Amino acid sequence: MQNHITRRLFSGYSGLSLLGTACSGWLPVLAAQAATSAKPHRRCILLWMSGGPSQMETFDPKPGQENGGPTTAIETSVPGIQISEHLPKLAAMMQHLAPIRSMSTKEGDHTRATYFMHTGYLPQGPIRYPTLGSMLSRELINRECDLPSFVSVNPFRAFSPAAYGPGFLGPSWSPLVVNSQMTGDEQNRDVSFEVSNLKPSEQITEAQSDARLQLLTSLEHDFLSSRPGAPGRSHVESYQQAVRMMKSAAVGAFNLDDEDQTLRDAYGRNPFGQGCLLARRLIENGVSFVEVNLSSADGSGGGAGWDTHADNFEAVGSLCGVLDPAYATLIQDLHQRGLLLDTLVIWMGEFGRTPKINENTGRDHWPKSWSTVLAGAGIQAGQVYGSTSADGMEVESDPVTVQNLMATICQALGIDHETTNLSNVGRPIPLADHGSAPIAELLS
Amino acid sequence: MKTILDKTNGFGDPVGRMTESCHRCCRFVLKIGIFGIPARNSCPEVAEPLGSNLSLPPRLLFLGKTVVNRQLLIGLNCLLLTVSPAVAQERLNLSVDRVVSAIDDRFQQSWQAEQVVPAEVADDAEFIRRLYLDLAGRIPAVSELRAFLADPARDKRAQIVSQLLDSPASVRHFTTVWRNALIPQANSQPEFRGLIPGFQAWLWERISAGQPYDQIVREIITSELNVSNGAALAATTSPDAFFVVRELKPENLAAGTARAFLGVRLDCAQCHDHPFDKWQQQQFWNMAAFYAGFSRPEDADRDTPAMMLSMAENRDARSIRIPGTEDVVPAVFLTGGSPDWNQQPQQTARDVLADWIVDPQNPWFARMAVNRMWAQFFGRGIVDPVDDFSDNNPPSHPEVLDLLADDFVAGGYDLKRLVRVITATRVYQLSSRQTHTSQQDPSHFARAVLRGLSPEQFFDSLAEAVGFYQPYRSDNPFVVDTDSPRAQFLDLFRDSAESSLDRETTILQALAMMNGEFISNATSLNDSQTLKAVIEFPAMTDAQKLETLFLAALSRPPSETEQQRFGEYLSTGGAAGNKQAAMADIFWVLLNSSEFLLNH
Repeated sequence: MQNHITRRLFSGYSGLSLLGTACSGWLPVLAAQAATSAKPHRRCILLWMSGGPSQMETFDPKPGQENGGPTTAIETSVPGIQISEHLPKLAAMMQHLAPIRSMSTKEGDHTRATYFMHTGYLPQGPIRYPTLGSMLSRELINRECDLPSFVSVNPFRAFSPAAYGPGFLGPSWSPLVVNSQMTGDEQNRDVSFEVSNLKPSEQITEAQSDARLQLLTSLEHDFLSSRPGAPGRSHVESYQQAVRMMKSAAVGAFNLDDEDQTLRDAYGRNPFGQGCLLARRLIENGVSFVEVNLSSADGSGGGAGWDTHADNFEAVGSLCGVLDPAYATLIQDLHQRGLLLDTLVIWMGEFGRTPKINENTGRDHWPKSWSTVLAGAGIQAGQVYGSTSADGMEVESDPVTVQNLMATICQALGIDHETTNLSNVGRPIPLADHGSAPIAELLS
Repeated sequence: MKTILDKTNGFGDPVGRMTESCHRCCRFVLKIGIFGIPARNSCPEVAEPLGSNLSLPPRLLFLGKTVVNRQLLIGLNCLLLTVSPAVAQERLNLSVDRVVSAIDDRFQQSWQAEQVVPAEVADDAEFIRRLYLDLAGRIPAVSELRAFLADPARDKRAQIVSQLLDSPASVRHFTTVWRNALIPQANSQPEFRGLIPGFQAWLWERISAGQPYDQIVREIITSELNVSNGAALAATTSPDAFFVVRELKPENLAAGTARAFLGVRLDCAQCHDHPFDKWQQQQFWNMAAFYAGFSRPEDADRDTPAMMLSMAENRDARSIRIPGTEDVVPAVFLTGGSPDWNQQPQQTARDVLADWIVDPQNPWFARMAVNRMWAQFFGRGIVDPVDDFSDNNPPSHPEVLDLLADDFVAGGYDLKRLVRVITATRVYQLSSRQTHTSQQDPSHFARAVLRGLSPEQFFDSLAEAVGFYQPYRSDNPFVVDTDSPRAQFLDLFRDSAESSLDRETTILQALAMMNGEFISNATSLNDSQTLKAVIEFPAMTDAQKLETLFLAALSRPPSETEQQRFGEYLSTGGAAGNKQAAMADIFWVLLNSSEFLLNH
């Protein structure tokens, strides 16, 4: 009897070998899941603007209006569509973009709004909603990929750590967080990315490292084969994933050195610019969701630079100096490589800024009428969706809720937005909240 | 060895503190379990602060010294032995025994009825590791393990439970457990993190003094908040964080109180009648009315936190308006009765609420407490989730719940006694090794399940295994450190799973364990205290060295197969062709195993 049990239990761990699976695939269960899901591998890049970017200085300028301030508008590659003077390179990419000028939400608090825009739900009661990256990478995952399905570059989590976590989906859907290092002096600034602890210490030879993993596999087998349970399974799975990544050539994606220098310059030699380039490389390597955060004029993810309560015009100008080349080059690069067809690029922050300019030449929090931008996979680009009044105070046409934006994002990625996941309170939760609907005009 | 006392002794038990610290710095000797040979005479790492700048009363100083002498006498066995009069102890054991055997009987009957074959009873090594993790929040030191295994006493399991319950480590562990249960928001929301020290210190004092649970809860609910003094609130030794993390809102406090102390989930009824339960919106607000003193003016700006702290409590309030309606509802108990305000004119609504909550007749209070404690030891409650007492979610073993709750009330809400009962049951002492498929369903409690460690349990066990000296400032509840290895690991291993059965490992955690600096040092020949102690100890054979590493990490000797497999690796020098490197490899393997990283 005991033998039978041991054998049967062990069969669940036949993917246990830490070394052997590096190339050969996953636990049988996961492999089976992959086999049944014949979804195309669409991908998603989220450019997150922490602090809440001003719509009037980006995608919804109001030149000549009192509320518009000194910001002027420029023509774009799509006749009739104008955007702010701060985004000339993006203006030339307008045929690939679909700005939404009629976002209308009710959350003007950084913490709640950051959570809302990242999960599609307001924080409520005990339910821990997953962040977009966790939720969508779980749907889009490419099991062939040696890298984690969700990578987050320079996140600024202080506003709402919960908005950046996997919530009830569990830690296995956590992002792999990568932070940038800046090197060189001001003239020769360079940026690199490193996944912490990816290599054993230098004293450990590869043979030793392999021998360790082999011994570990035997120990795990002896222990877990007679002790089934989720924590043990999760332990083995995460070690397998980690070893797979350590041994994979795909980690080369994090090293930008082999990238064309002119292209690197075009993205901008700053953390956000190079982060966008990293996002493209990760997408190419099979990663499903990459979030890149911009919240400081030096391109890093520190602080909440878009929170321009004072000196709005100068601050947004410098931030756009980082945003414009990075975002535009990303779109162009993805397009040229044929990746834009199945990669959705989202640009958003937690809310917009007050149309009225305050006494510090700043703009305050404004969730009532503001802008986000979609591009790429499944999006009908080259159009503006929705509009605001001349003074920017009201949404004039086609108001867009967070829920409908989420549903649209899901549809664009080929995911049914009504797909549910079982939450920590035992209630099934749809990807986009009940009652939401994708915006048909935005979908191709 | 010098006396080590903490000058910030408001919450510190000087005796216990010293014991802990001694234990840390004498690990060279203690690690390998050889008693009576002091490796050094002093503890350089903890040279400050010492007796010279103490602000302790003389009595405590004297106590400290007494223990030092006794310590040396008993040969550096650093466990504090508090021997109570034998007779009293026996009487206590007898009544505990009665409850335990009644519980054992119930499980026996339910297993028979369900045709469940329970697992074997755990051997001493398996039991002691689990017990240390559950009571002291860390694995046992090799010396503690060896002492227990060698102890011939028949009642040694009960003895070690009593011993651990009186240890400072246990006070610290249960303080963390209760703090996480009572103010979970402080972990998940950074703006509340600053409230942890004051709350923790307050709780520490009570748990350290063995204060009955009903009194602790009453003190929390009736705490005289100094709400007008925002800055001081965070730094005061008080239970006020319970209110602050609930933003001093009547509705949050009602839901939080019901959940934390009664295991009743009212949350849904805040906005509408509960869809799956009997609770109606009116009942929710009846409960919230006990906290109506915190109601805010209509025009209050909810996004201005300053508002929260500059607000005064109206201590006469006894009713509340349901937002968005004109309905004003009075304070009514969840059981339906209304308070008799004429009888208690001096009492505030919160006083009355506290009386009702901790009343022995309250249908939930004691059951919820024992259920939470049970879940702490089994990864799931008899009612599960622990805080979801509802007709739709019946207990798996109602009679056991009643036995525990009745004994808890009869024993004067003594948390230590409750732990004695739970840890003495057969179900707690079962092995985790599955021998029959019927043991798979965790609701049968037919084998010990795999449980994830809390971040604190995890790091303190890691420190124990590798011989990492934790500066004792990390014990100080008022010091919020962010850059120590402990703080970094706590951050990396923070998990939002509600049950230890659901805990998952992330890739970043796996990478940190495999390649991170801390583990690299702990398994390097230059930096690892444990490895050094083992490698440099001349009198040990390879087999003994291997055994010591197993005891240090897994709290058990290697099996025969393992002796062979790892012994061969060691004798051939492994991949590096060098015995010492092979030893490091083996230690690395043990520390990265799920057997080390889980409670089982």
